[in-house]
Amino acid sequence: MKFDVAIVGAGPAGLKAAIEIARAGGNVVMIDDHPHVGGKLNGQLHEEPNNGDWWIGVSIAEQLKQEALSLGITILTGTQVWSVEEGWKLFISNVDGRPLDNNMIESKALLLATGAIEKPLPLPGWTLPGVLTIGGAQVLTNQYQVKPGNRVIVVGVDILSLSIARAMKMAGADVVGIYIAPKNEFTSGISNPKELLSSFSSMTKFAPNLFMRLGGNVLKSAIGCSLAALFYPKNGMKVWDIPIHFRQSILAINGEQEVESVTLTKIDPTGNAIGESFLEKVDAVCISGGLSPQNELAAVAGCEFVRLNGLSGVVPLHDQYMQTTVEGLFVAGNITGIEGAKVASAQGVLAGSSINKYLSIGNVNEGNLERNAKQVEIVRETADITFHSEIGSARNKLQKLWEHRI
Amino acid sequence: MPKDENYLICRCEEISLKEIKNVKNNGLTTSQEIKMATRAGMGVCQGRICRSLIEQLVAETEEGSCKLPSKLTVHHPVRPVPLGMIVNKED
Repeated sequence: MKFDVAIVGAGPAGLKAAIEIARAGGNVVMIDDHPHVGGKLNGQLHEEPNNGDWWIGVSIAEQLKQEALSLGITILTGTQVWSVEEGWKLFISNVDGRPLDNNMIESKALLLATGAIEKPLPLPGWTLPGVLTIGGAQVLTNQYQVKPGNRVIVVGVDILSLSIARAMKMAGADVVGIYIAPKNEFTSGISNPKELLSSFSSMTKFAPNLFMRLGGNVLKSAIGCSLAALFYPKNGMKVWDIPIHFRQSILAINGEQEVESVTLTKIDPTGNAIGESFLEKVDAVCISGGLSPQNELAAVAGCEFVRLNGLSGVVPLHDQYMQTTVEGLFVAGNITGIEGAKVASAQGVLAGSSINKYLSIGNVNEGNLERNAKQVEIVRETADITFHSEIGSARNKLQKLWEHRI
Repeated sequence: MPKDENYLICRCEEISLKEIKNVKNNGLTTSQEIKMATRAGMGVCQGRICRSLIEQLVAETEEGSCKLPSKLTVHHPVRPVPLGMIVNKED
């Protein structure tokens, strides 16, 4: 099977890029290992912080899919790319192991829009049935309409865990509370109430209720964060009627064959356990350890990389038009750093136009690319959801590293 | 209460935090060495779950440019596939 462009990942970035290329006359194939296109859009269901509208990811995914199909884009779902070779050759297989008619796709350009993978957050008992990642809980609840459990606790306080806890509650689960991640080798920065409150202060747009109660701007100063961590009510406070516990954490998940209870403890403002631990009966534990860019195919393709905390991990080095260090290989979406679906979409449009220019599809000029690149910045600056407080400076550092390289 | 470190880090190969800490205490300092000594990261998922954990244990998380995303090399196949497919690819 031969195409102008192959796109790995049919989330918002991949879909937007595919549409941009197909509209200009390019012949596109999209490959995704999930049974449905849309990627993480399918799990997204939340109230927009600025205007109170609901973001219904499933509907947005469906619209994009219909548009892609009407443009004649080939979509292969349930299909995984297990290797790539420059040129480009993509080696594919069926995720269920059944043979495919074609095991290889050839294209002139390749876009990796592979998104992110959840970071594990291990603690005693985390491999018991009934423990799942917050992303798993999101897909079960919002996409498949299955409650992860009847009595659920959430570990890890972040943007994602807040919105998914709310979704589970709306689905009828008894959400016992959101607890801070336990202090261990794997949780620096997210197990310390003081640091966590400080990073949250830059993301206040997302949970206005929480921060108004905490005193809003008080959190913006270092002293404010220390005080907030110290005086945060030990029994937590409720957001959307779900208790958030900045002064309690989890020590272990217990059960013989599956989750039966969790062992909780009070903690001091730096995350150390204090006092007697206590049990809470639950049948599901949702762990949120954050996201990191999914970069294996870029590694196999020979890209150079950069690790930046603001991007939440290691990403392929790329220029402002999404071209990597390997010719004909482009990136868009969370593989370039963890941000929301709106930023990913804008990056998809940019990568699509960049590929159009590279392959001389349609009439793309430098001006189009500049406008699309500017649009990514505008969307980033006005984003309701920020996953890391240093995202802006990390993007600048990445740009400098690219220029330095040339 | 003594700290329980018997929980798994590499789920595929069933390697616990305690086992990894033991080899670390015996002088192994890089993620590659830990992988070679314990098989952590060598299972069916090829380190997709535990890679970041092992990197944190040996503090291989510094910011900056790198030729590879991880010292734990990423090989193809990046997803589990039947051996026959790899053989066909090499033909």
